[in-house]
Amino acid sequence: MADVKGQEMAVKTEDRSPQEQQRRRPVVVTPPVDIYELEDGVVLFADMPGVPKENLDVQIDKNVLTIKGEIGDIVPKEITPIYVEFNGKAYERAFTLGPDVDVSKIEATMNAGVLKIFLPKSEEVKPKKIEVKVE
Amino acid sequence: MFRPWFSLSDPIWQDFDRLNREMEKIFNENYFSPTGMAATRVPIPAVNIGETSDQVLIYLFAPGLDPQDIDLTVEKNMLTISAGRDTAKELGDDAKVTGYYRKERFSGKFRRVIALPDGLDTSSVEAKYKNGILNVSIKKKEEEKTKKIEVKVD
Repeated sequence: MADVKGQEMAVKTEDRSPQEQQRRRPVVVTPPVDIYELEDGVVLFADMPGVPKENLDVQIDKNVLTIKGEIGDIVPKEITPIYVEFNGKAYERAFTLGPDVDVSKIEATMNAGVLKIFLPKSEEVKPKKIEVKVE
Repeated sequence: MFRPWFSLSDPIWQDFDRLNREMEKIFNENYFSPTGMAATRVPIPAVNIGETSDQVLIYLFAPGLDPQDIDLTVEKNMLTISAGRDTAKELGDDAKVTGYYRKERFSGKFRRVIALPDGLDTSSVEAKYKNGILNVSIKKKEEEKTKKIEVKVD
């Protein structure tokens, strides 16, 4: 096992002075995503383990969708790390949206550390079926 | 039978992933992605282990699992966690997928074997799955617990 002395446990949140907190900025991780195109919109899944619903921040500014999430307190304060592979404390990623998304109807849900966002297509770009009349 | 030659669930690729992770630790950056622009690739869930005075805690970062699919076993001093997920099923059967832009998330089965330190009471293993993190806690045996000794002043 690797020597992790002095290394921090990924998910440890301690009481620190503001200076100390500024010096040790949280490690921000880019979450892996799956993005599918559906007939009526676009679905995005992002893996953000450890983020409770209340620590999630989904924003849209103009045509940029930003997802942010902070890992909650999940380890006891008195923990000593033995072995650490993941030392992220927060997730962040931004996406540029196409003009055909209806920004007012975006839905986001969080389940078991997976964020799901549905971005519906605006009415005018949805494929329309045109019936061909036979005369 | 046709079988793709490249599959992330092949043990050999998992070994490469482990190696990559060790490299990242040494260089303290994403070794194969110097720009750091790509998503943090975690094909098999990462594990953190820590201890307190009376127990050892294991954290497995594995989002999107059904808790009923998680298989935990302890044999001698080896803890084995196996589970999996199929990201194709997340959309539901009636979703009309016309294409995709990104597929970065892990899909498939995984297994992690963790060598436990000595002195644990493996009959007292507890596991919780919350917000995509599996937390396994194992109590230390009575004689291994950190004891506080008071210094008497004569």
